[in-house]
Amino acid sequence: MEQVSKATEWGWELNSQTSWWDWKVKELWEYRNLWLRLIRKDFLLNYQQTLLGPLWILFQPILTLVTYILVFNKLIGISTGNVPPVLFYLIGIALWTFFSESFIAISFTFIHYERIFQKVYFPRLIIPLSILSANVIRLLLQLSLLTIITVGYWLLYRNPVMMNSWMLALPIAILLIGVNGLSTGLLFAVLTAHYRDLTNVASIGIRLMMFVTPVIYPMAVVPERFRQVAALNPLSPLFEVCRFALFGEGTFTPTQLAYSLFVTLLLFVGSMMLFHKRVDKLMDVI
Amino acid sequence: MSETIIQIENVSKYYRLGTIGTGSFRQDLQRWWTTRVRRREDSFFGDNTPLPSSSAILALDDVSFDIRQGEVWGLVGANGAGKSTLLKIISRITRPSQGVIRGKGTISSLLEVGTGFHMELTGRENIYISGNMLGMSKADIQHKFDEIVAFSGIERFIDTPAKRYSSGMYMRLAFAVAAHLEPDILIVDEVLAVGDASFQKKCLGKMQEVAQDKGRTILFVSHNMQAVNNLCQKSVWLEHGRVRELGETRTVVTNFLATYQQNTLQKTWDTPENAPGNQQVRFRSIELIPESDDPQRLINVTTPLRVSFSIWNFEPETWINASLQLYTNLGECVFELPTASLYCAKGVLEGACTIPGHFLNDGVYYLSIRILKDASSVLFDFQQCLSFEVEDYRENTAWFGKWPGVIRPTFPFAWRQVATETAHSL
Repeated sequence: MEQVSKATEWGWELNSQTSWWDWKVKELWEYRNLWLRLIRKDFLLNYQQTLLGPLWILFQPILTLVTYILVFNKLIGISTGNVPPVLFYLIGIALWTFFSESFIAISFTFIHYERIFQKVYFPRLIIPLSILSANVIRLLLQLSLLTIITVGYWLLYRNPVMMNSWMLALPIAILLIGVNGLSTGLLFAVLTAHYRDLTNVASIGIRLMMFVTPVIYPMAVVPERFRQVAALNPLSPLFEVCRFALFGEGTFTPTQLAYSLFVTLLLFVGSMMLFHKRVDKLMDVI
Repeated sequence: MSETIIQIENVSKYYRLGTIGTGSFRQDLQRWWTTRVRRREDSFFGDNTPLPSSSAILALDDVSFDIRQGEVWGLVGANGAGKSTLLKIISRITRPSQGVIRGKGTISSLLEVGTGFHMELTGRENIYISGNMLGMSKADIQHKFDEIVAFSGIERFIDTPAKRYSSGMYMRLAFAVAAHLEPDILIVDEVLAVGDASFQKKCLGKMQEVAQDKGRTILFVSHNMQAVNNLCQKSVWLEHGRVRELGETRTVVTNFLATYQQNTLQKTWDTPENAPGNQQVRFRSIELIPESDDPQRLINVTTPLRVSFSIWNFEPETWINASLQLYTNLGECVFELPTASLYCAKGVLEGACTIPGHFLNDGVYYLSIRILKDASSVLFDFQQCLSFEVEDYRENTAWFGKWPGVIRPTFPFAWRQVATETAHSL
């Protein structure tokens, strides 16, 4: 759309052709104010008129944590290896919440923002990006809570510090989890705009997905013969890398990591292509 | 001559009829089968010259025109003529199905009042988020923030959530943001149709100011022809998605109104058999003639209207008179005007009168004519035999709100100063 034709000095041109590859990066940058504003709006809307405000970002995982420990650890007795269950579940919950909340919110982009999209133009990718960014901030807050608790464990129980050089890979693993959330979210956003019944598929899918991702169990407890199948999930090695970086325990191979990286990039490029090819045409469909 | 800033070239837009976006998976499969497998032309989604089929409507059909910098264009047309679709395409919300639009400079589109506003957020937050969405930078908004708040007149409530605002306050704040946009090209759709008269006045005043003082290019859609006439130099008249006429606003709007006025100005019946009436009287003709020099015979508030009619009288030797009643479209009677009684024989009778100009207000009116015997018993009441619409007409005014009242007479109204205040008098 932003093509400058050579013959004349037109600034922009609008026609029926949409491109797979024109991701309008420059335009996104021009709308960075809106991006920041939308992140702010996300937090204001979620915590305005609540008693505890942004503290909910921390209470939510803590409440989930208590439930998971009671059910999965005490009742069912899933081993968390040498990692204290509190720490084990907390990182799992934080990462999973990050992925699933990003995915769900992004997949509703067109449904929730339809009215605004019909009235004003801005690069539509701003919405998914601001959703993802807000969830990154939540994740960072939860990770700082995790750090505090880890320090607490070290002080109280003399828990050995198992952090290691894989810490350097932690931001990359988190980034890749985020990219997975964005990509799958974008795919479903385009698909659900066409077929609303896919919103049900998305919400059931994400619930089932949690059980094939090492959130409540370590890959180590998965029987050998299922491990190859479980490794098909590109999120699995990423979750394991995060646990390994923090607690020195996790099961992954370089091949799995390479596979995960490859699938993530493939998903990202594919979803971005589909999104940009379809986004303007969707305005006539939603 | 200033340079062309928007060039619209052979733009068409198709919409698929029926189940748009309701998960028509079967249709999509069918389309995939015809286009990808059998290599046929796509009827709707294809990128390459889609052809309108029975399942698609043509919202815009080969529209072309150029807009030069600093021009204010009006877009007129009946409902469903494609005005909003065209604005949506120029605003980049949707793509044309065919054709191309080229342009330069930034565009802001006001297709509604309060784009991006959220009820839960405070006025301050809403100014920022709406401003950003409409294309203002943070620095722009900070720079104009006080001005925006002052324009909206809700200083005291700026940190209150918008949900506690009255609808008037909400509207004022939303418009205040819009009024401070400074794009190269401004696109405005019917946003002025909302709000009360004083709000509309403020909006139009601001529009006029922006258009005149700052040399901005504006594309404006409104059903208020008075506003279009006063604000826009050029106009496009769209009809069924096509450009019907394009040029100077005054000409375009006049022609548009002449076509769309709901006027039934003439009825004639050749024989008494099919004419309205009964055994006693039947109508032969009835006609309303706008007495203006205008060849379009457009009726506005200044136009005198000559009503003439003729009847067949079948009553032998009796006193007959006619009475003309004028109703507003809400059914209120504006006046009843009887003729004198005439002692007449069987044959044709004729009546005529002139409703003066500068008498009726703008709006739709109906005429009824009654024929009476002995000035008391009704022989025939021909209800709503003619209807006509009177257009507003004002010159050199900044106020475009609806003129109140059933009639708008102009009779002498004395107004003078009887004393002046000096140092010692009073």
